[in-house]
Amino acid sequence: MTAAPGTLDVVPSPEEPRTATPAPAARVRGLRTTFGRVVAVDGVDLELPSGAVVGMLGPNGSGKTTLIRMLLGLTRPTAGHVELLGRTGDDLAAALPDVGALVEGPGFHPFLSGRDNLLRAAATEPRLEGDLRAPVDAALERVGLSDAARRRYRGYSLGMKQRLGLAAALLVPRRLVVLDEPTNGLDPAGTRDVRRVIAELHDAGTTVLLSSHLLAEVEAVCTHVAVLQRGSLLVSGELSGLLDAGAGELVVTTDDPTTALDAVRVAGAGPYLRDGGLVVPAGPLEPPEVVAALVRAGVGVWEVHRRRAHLEELFARLTEEDA
Amino acid sequence: MSTTVATRGRAATRTAAPLGRLLAAELRWVLRRPRTLVVFGLLALVPIAIAIGIATTGGPSAGRGPGLVAQVAGNGFVLPVVALGLSLTLLLPLAVASAGADAIAGEAATGTLRGLLIAPVGRLRLVVMKAAGVVTVAVLAVLVVAVVGMIAGTVVVGGAQGTLVTLSGTTLGVGEAIGRIALVAAWTVGQLLAIGAVALAISTLTEHPLVVLACVLGGLIVFGVLSAIPSLEWLQPLLLTTGFTAGTDVLRDPLPLDGLVSSTVRALVYVVLGLGVTLWRMRRRDA
Repeated sequence: MTAAPGTLDVVPSPEEPRTATPAPAARVRGLRTTFGRVVAVDGVDLELPSGAVVGMLGPNGSGKTTLIRMLLGLTRPTAGHVELLGRTGDDLAAALPDVGALVEGPGFHPFLSGRDNLLRAAATEPRLEGDLRAPVDAALERVGLSDAARRRYRGYSLGMKQRLGLAAALLVPRRLVVLDEPTNGLDPAGTRDVRRVIAELHDAGTTVLLSSHLLAEVEAVCTHVAVLQRGSLLVSGELSGLLDAGAGELVVTTDDPTTALDAVRVAGAGPYLRDGGLVVPAGPLEPPEVVAALVRAGVGVWEVHRRRAHLEELFARLTEEDA
Repeated sequence: MSTTVATRGRAATRTAAPLGRLLAAELRWVLRRPRTLVVFGLLALVPIAIAIGIATTGGPSAGRGPGLVAQVAGNGFVLPVVALGLSLTLLLPLAVASAGADAIAGEAATGTLRGLLIAPVGRLRLVVMKAAGVVTVAVLAVLVVAVVGMIAGTVVVGGAQGTLVTLSGTTLGVGEAIGRIALVAAWTVGQLLAIGAVALAISTLTEHPLVVLACVLGGLIVFGVLSAIPSLEWLQPLLLTTGFTAGTDVLRDPLPLDGLVSSTVRALVYVVLGLGVTLWRMRRRDA
């Protein structure tokens, strides 16, 4: 990942050659959707690398769900290009048997039991053949709903509904699983279960697109992130690369903070003092240059470490900067 | 893993579930829906209520012999015809309209339409599946009224030696009588399919099932009002409700077919229009 220091220009351009990597599980280019005069998604280019767990972040109303809906062919883009598992245009639906999705919350019939709801969903799955009960029971087991399977959906708690929605996405071994805020309404155990399922999918080579506003969740399970703000993609790329490029400030412990502050400032960075230590934001100076400047000024350097940013800081900075 | 077994063979490459399985799943869903069963129950009450009405007014207390309806009708085989005619004014359209409302608008409201489209059930297959569900409800609803009507008629009014005395005064044998009832039942299904197709079309335009019900039932009432206005007589051939009275023609002898045929043709036009709008709309509808 190439990144100019101090900028967040790490979005890979769509034309960037990606040699030796398999075709992406999904790709959108120049995607734009308007609902009347409201622009929901505006010029988004995004790739879901095959096998990646991509976390899609963004405040409410930033276009996450609309983007997912266009990916699944539920909403037609006003302009732009969607490619799903190599299928595009009118052929997009041909990719859907291999795509599992939980979008905009679970949708089931209240008068049927969870199991009967899943049996109905299983009947519509092109990839299933023969007895549908086996895959349905396996999916229920996988999301921990076996005990409540025969109760009516009407009586399910929010978390149980969410689990059933997840089970529907897992009825068939998928190549891509799209989860739109899957941990909504889940208790901590449920959240753990979702993480376990995502990890299992990842191990099996399934690409996962996880939309969430829970940064810790994304940081815990995702390999890649994409951040949306008001319909535009602010940044996307590998999580580790973004965190390094994003906010890797240097924390320097010296015997003379005041002199150190002046030295680094003269060298061209914008340092400040925090808790008696010198903080050098990621910027024009690379770590060796900072240390060299301090040594030239005769300051004793005890410790230098680069603090890895948390996604939360990155996210806050990205979305506030633009606000 | 059981799922790998399931994806062996043709299933590994096909892009849509088999139509038979989709239809079976749809019918199971339609027939397990509580409101479908409630409407069927209400429909069964119509002939029973008529039978009770006939039996009580037909009692000797009136002092004028058998009740009026019973006298005109002559025997129980008339009851299903009368029951179908009465139900066609409101209850049967309600049954079909509610099936049409749930079929697409209802699925959109519960969020299940999304699941069907993502599965994916092709959009054309979805319309086929949904239309099959509505047709099933129409047929079963008419069967409930007709069969319960025949039973109630035979039990309460009496079979009159298994003959049907027509409005024209002639008498038909059992076979002929049952044939006439089957004819009016089939004709009623035809009228209901027109309503069902229109309900499906409206269903594709909204995600509120109640809107569909209100439009269909409101539309029928408006049609009734329009047909009562003399200066709007030229509208009559366009209104579905104009032909609704043709059902009782089966009680005449010889059987006049023109009313039944023209109302069936009119119903077919409504079916074509309704399905056309449904297909056109479902090709692009967001879910």
